[in-house]
Amino acid sequence: MRIGIGVLLLICMSVSPVWAEPEEIEKKGCRDCHRFSSEEKQPARGPDLFYAGDKFHENWLKEFLQSPKVIRKVGYITDPGFPSGNPEVSQPHSTLTHEESARVSTFLMTLHLPDYETGKVDDVPLSKGARAQAKMLFERNFGCIACHEALNLVGKVRGGVSGPTLVDSGLRLKPDWVFHWLKSPEKFLPRGRMPVFNLDDETAIRITKYVLSIRTKK
Amino acid sequence: MILNKKTKFLKTLEFFPELSLFLALIILSGCGSENPTQQVKPPAEAVPVVPDRSAPVVNVSQVTEETRQTYQWYCTQCHGEKGHGNGVNAPHLVVPPRDHTKASYLETRSDEQLFEAIKLGGLAVGRAPCMPAWGNTFEDKTIHSLVSYIRELCDCEAL
Ligand code: HEC
Ligand code: HEC
Ligand code: HEC
Repeated sequence: MRIGIGVLLLICMSVSPVWAEPEEIEKKGCRDCHRFSSEEKQPARGPDLFYAGDKFHENWLKEFLQSPKVIRKVGYITDPGFPSGNPEVSQPHSTLTHEESARVSTFLMTLHLPDYETGKVDDVPLSKGARAQAKMLFERNFGCIACHEALNLVGKVRGGVSGPTLVDSGLRLKPDWVFHWLKSPEKFLPRGRMPVFNLDDETAIRITKYVLSIRTKK
Repeated sequence: MILNKKTKFLKTLEFFPELSLFLALIILSGCGSENPTQQVKPPAEAVPVVPDRSAPVVNVSQVTEETRQTYQWYCTQCHGEKGHGNGVNAPHLVVPPRDHTKASYLETRSDEQLFEAIKLGGLAVGRAPCMPAWGNTFEDKTIHSLVSYIRELCDCEAL
């Protein structure tokens, strides 16, 4: 019994716990471009990661860190080349091995905002009619498509590129996070380039569900 | 906050999915649709939500360094770094962003019209929906200064 506990303790001490920061973060210079805490200096050269656990699906993170696809075609909003569409930070993103990516993703998923409210968006999909309505809000009333890629009726990619692509965003982003982003982007980013929309909850939920349903057919 | 009329209109759509699909097809799908020749006037009830629609107070505002930075940070995404209408999104839009250096057009628009287009967005003023509403992002004061900055870019006044 004693020995058992001793061995357990030993194992715990040698294998660092999953919530500790993996060494790749320092070694690969992730902090040169990303903030892992809201206290770190800004503006950063890449998107903030201190709320990664609220924002991303873990499977997407793991996949992205091993074989990244470009999400922001003209670069991150702070990139000096953003306005001309020629980002200085090279694309696509640097890669990690399978094991590194698993460690880093597990760690990233432990990063949360304090007082973050979940359960705002249920997982009932929009009815066909409600989806058509939400699509109109997205494309016409709010003009989201002017800055974001989405899919048209025959599944072709179309839309602006100054905002992150929203194609297959359902695999990437958590519904509650998209809702909170639309309601109060300043919680995540003091000054983005996206207009503030001041949506009521019901509209924000509908648009969230629509955005996350923009899915390429496999 | 959302307009009742619109909600009612959209609620109707919910019960007639086929109708809404059909409507979505003819009313055009906003900007970014691949049918550039089709430019349809939006129905009056479908207007984005913006706080107050009271008539703007016309005043000539100073263009400051902050005004230029605001334009650079937000407007260049579509209107381009020098306001020529060639921002990174421009190739993907059905209706091209206005060239803010083009005096011949901007002379035909009053400062109030420009103010309203920026504050309420294209759709609300009978222009293309790809021009977003900035009324929740900026105070009126900032929007006035953006109008003055556009007047500087076109080196023109409303005739
Ligand atoms: C040279 C700067 C740079 C370095 C170093 C860097 N990143 Fe990034 N990272 C970026 C940029 C720019 C993006 C946006 C990419 C895109 O949108 O396609 C990004 C995107 C990401 C994303 C997706 C975030 C989102 O909101 O889309 C994650 C996760 C990420 N990086 C993790 C890492 C990790 C972990 C490391 C270290 C192993 C790292 N990055 C190193 C610049 C960098
Ligand atoms: C003027 C261009 C513009 C318009 C219009 C716009 N966005 Fe954005 N959006 C951006 C930019 C740029 C970002 C990146 C963050 C920032 O700078 O604010 C962004 C970020 C986002 C994100 C977060 C994506 C991520 O991976 O971090 C979502 C979701 C989003 N927008 C949805 C929408 C929706 C829904 C609408 C319409 C209601 C909309 N956007 C309208 C430019 C725009
Ligand atoms: C997402 C793309 C986009 C962004 C960002 C954008 N615009 Fe526009 N803007 C347009 C388009 C497209 C038009 C043309 C509308 C039309 O002709 O129907 C336009 C037209 C205009 C007009 C002319 C309206 C008229 O009366 O004809 C003004 C003024 C204007 N924009 C100002 C601005 C300012 C100021 C900003 C930044 C705060 C800005 N725009 C940001 C796309 C954009």
